[in-house]
Amino acid sequence: MRIAVCIKQAVDEAELKFDHAGNAILSNAQTKLSTFDKNAVEEALRIKTLKGGEVIAFSAGNNESKKGLKEALAMGADRAVHIITETYERSSLTVSKLLSKAIEKYKPFDLILFSEGSSDIYTSLVPGQVSTMLGLPFIPFARKIEVHDKDVKVSQTLEEKTVIISSPLPAAISVVSEINQPRYPTLVQIMQAARKQIDEIREDSLGVEPKGYRVEYIRAQSVERKKVIFEGPPEETARKLLDALKREGVVK
Amino acid sequence: MSGLIEREHELLLLQSYKEGEQYIEALRNIAAFLEENVLPFSEEIDLGKRSISELRKSLFKHGLCSIPFNPEFGGLGLPFSVYVLAMELAGAADASIALSMAIHNTVADIINMYGSPEQKEKILPELLSGKKLASFALTEPSSGSDARNMNTRVEKRGDSFVINGSKTYITNAPEADVFLVFARSENGHVCLVVDRDTEGLEVGKNMEKLGMRGSTTAEVFFSECKVDSSSLVGKEGEGFEYAKSGLNSSRIVMGSICVGIASTAFRKAAIFSLERRAFGKSISEFQLIGEKIANMKLKINASRFLCFFASRMRELGMDFSSHAAQAKVFATESSLEVCDSAIQIFGGQGYTSSDVNRHWRDARLLTIGEGTSEILRILIAKKELAGLR
Repeated sequence: MRIAVCIKQAVDEAELKFDHAGNAILSNAQTKLSTFDKNAVEEALRIKTLKGGEVIAFSAGNNESKKGLKEALAMGADRAVHIITETYERSSLTVSKLLSKAIEKYKPFDLILFSEGSSDIYTSLVPGQVSTMLGLPFIPFARKIEVHDKDVKVSQTLEEKTVIISSPLPAAISVVSEINQPRYPTLVQIMQAARKQIDEIREDSLGVEPKGYRVEYIRAQSVERKKVIFEGPPEETARKLLDALKREGVVK
Repeated sequence: MSGLIEREHELLLLQSYKEGEQYIEALRNIAAFLEENVLPFSEEIDLGKRSISELRKSLFKHGLCSIPFNPEFGGLGLPFSVYVLAMELAGAADASIALSMAIHNTVADIINMYGSPEQKEKILPELLSGKKLASFALTEPSSGSDARNMNTRVEKRGDSFVINGSKTYITNAPEADVFLVFARSENGHVCLVVDRDTEGLEVGKNMEKLGMRGSTTAEVFFSECKVDSSSLVGKEGEGFEYAKSGLNSSRIVMGSICVGIASTAFRKAAIFSLERRAFGKSISEFQLIGEKIANMKLKINASRFLCFFASRMRELGMDFSSHAAQAKVFATESSLEVCDSAIQIFGGQGYTSSDVNRHWRDARLLTIGEGTSEILRILIAKKELAGLR
């Protein structure tokens, strides 16, 4: 069983800082392996333990992406492929093209795994786009994956229903964070990961023109609360509150 | 950036090693593990609602104690300074766990330095993996600082050593599987590895303490306690030198744990000072609070750099005994001052909340244990004056 797992070195949202105009400062922002991607790596490793084979981690991004790939290697991935982009901001479409072209170079794969979305932007666009580009069936938001020799059975939890989807292999699947508890690599594994291979592919060598949307800015939105206090006897304050709510269009 | 990791950790490693990036990664990994698995339980540990046993096991499994040892025995073969910084992070997450593991590792360090090849092969893998917990039995009811004058006796009888006497304030004793025991024979001081289940060895009950309440401490009694001669570490007569040598390194680690304790107290107090309002503004805007914040930070960094400096001296094979003592005296005393300032900034809440005042209580041990500040100042003065004579 050969499994590709696509991961992203995301901006660490807990450490994100904003300038006076409310714009996120992305240059030199702290990054981390996108939180849910750890679930995708964990699932790939779980399947490998059951079925044997190889897990290869792919990531498209600037130099920071190496850190995430090393973490995936420390968790237990066998190899890693870094598609080097010049900047952090690449559209989802461009990233999908880069990933699918790189995956093509390393095929065949039985499974391509993704997380449900990145922990910084969370567009959830890449898994569907990559599967389409590779011509593979795509099953999103997997909560449980059962891999058989020729097909895969995936459970999705949709509100009160559980949907079971079967698909022939190869297939692409995105997983939700509830699917597993990602392992912590131990220090020994961190040291061993330093000796594992990370292949490098430059984005221009894949013939992908950076296209699609361009990120103009990422800005924090805040809504000022009105903080109005009504004072007086209960009947009077209730009436004042009701009038105010009507004025604001909250009630008619 | 991971919460426990500070820019200074990264810069120290980058400036000192060409493999600095790799060591930073190891440190980040330890920090992330501690933040998720240890830090959230630190208050429960202090309040006696949780034992450190399972958390300590998970840290052994993660590799914390293996950092500076040879891969041949299950170590990671990383520099001692990486271990010192990792223990600072452990101290920042929970001082009791850090203390327990540091004492355990002092035993491993002495066996690694002076043990026979057979002892290393048998004991070190068990200690580094945490399969067995170790305890360092030196202090006695009548000899703390004056440890050389210990009363515990050991007698050679045939192919065995027989120990009689008692030890006190022994960290890990209630849980330990193996004890490194120091005693006096007619040929001088002796260092022995003694298994817990050896006949004639008894452990007293866990002592109540002001701080470090998650770690266990007890008396250990030896009555005609007979061990095989293969239990002897190094040479008969050299035992006290081994203890001193182990303590030199251990003092750097104790200093480092105090840097961690102080960092956590600092972080809590600094955030509180920004949030707490008085007279219409954040108390961080008052200059007297600002002075405290500045002094806390400079003491933390100065302590951290002294500990790192001493550990680099050890790595480079230099005599580091004075610098280890300097690091411990400065870091432990500074930690007490920082934790005291944290209580002051928190005011009433600092005095009443274990989450604030336990840091001071934890740090309070370490101007006493592993060499009091007074004894260490004598050591520093002697060393420095000898260099001028």
